[in-house]
Amino acid sequence: MKKPHKKRVPIRIDMTPMVDVAFLLLTFFMLTTQFKPPEEVDVILPDSNSVIKLPERDVITLTISKTGEVFMGVDSQFLRASLFGDENKLRMAVQLDMPTLTSKLIEARTRNAKLRTVLKCDKDAEYGVVMDVMDILLKTNISRFNLVTNLETS
Amino acid sequence: MAGGGDFAPTGGRAKKGKKRKPTKRLGIRIDMTPMVDIAFLLLTFFMLTTVFRAPQTMELNMPPSEVTVEIAESNLMTLRILDDGTMFWNIGIEIPERVEMKDLRKLLIERNKQNPKLVTLVKVDRKGKYYQMVDILDELQLANVGRFSLAPLTDVDKKEVAKAI
Repeated sequence: MKKPHKKRVPIRIDMTPMVDVAFLLLTFFMLTTQFKPPEEVDVILPDSNSVIKLPERDVITLTISKTGEVFMGVDSQFLRASLFGDENKLRMAVQLDMPTLTSKLIEARTRNAKLRTVLKCDKDAEYGVVMDVMDILLKTNISRFNLVTNLETS
Repeated sequence: MAGGGDFAPTGGRAKKGKKRKPTKRLGIRIDMTPMVDIAFLLLTFFMLTTVFRAPQTMELNMPPSEVTVEIAESNLMTLRILDDGTMFWNIGIEIPERVEMKDLRKLLIERNKQNPKLVTLVKVDRKGKYYQMVDILDELQLANVGRFSLAPLTDVDKKEVAKAI
């Protein structure tokens, strides 16, 4: 005996709530996303248990690479153009030698007194270079600065 | 999603007559599928690219270089880190003793409890690695030691340490 052919019932699922949630998440992620600016140098940060957040604006970033090169960068494009020239305004950091670093630090701080200094050094950078940079900071009267670290995961 | 249905009139068109009949509304169905597809695409993109974790920082307060502070030798704990990462500590003019990174916190807490006026001086060799300094600063912070200072490691220090070896 043949079974009578059953007619398929088209299934309709109301997708509206799912789509609503999806859009909600989409707007959330779109609004919270901040794109990471391209880095001039790649540094591997050391770990620490410190939980102070990096300030988002008005920062001078001094980057020390693994090989001991020193880069300086400021977050405002306008200030970058006036410090390092128009051709460097789109670069996040510019490599400097120690004497220029001193004068640029002073120049940057006279232009914007609110600037805070952060040191972003590779974890395997030689301590001597870091020490020299810290000496320059002290000489230019920057006695308070931050070291950028990753949060220790253990 | 909402089926493949597009404009699907549900009622017949009202005949033109002398008396106006209320026109029946057309149930409009728009196919939302492409929009939702794009929405999900963007959603996945933003979800995957978002990084919530902002980098952490450690705050360092250094005294200006012209300021000198005098401390009694008995209140001064010196931590010396050689270029190979070995660490030695002593108080005042005692002979340096070797200490491992994992025991440092306990030592710091102990010593600071014994002498609350203790000032820690961290001396890292120029050839040492940056993370060694960060590790020590981190341990100092975890041990709640706020009174510390950084100084260069000189030849005198190396001789001091040589006594311990």
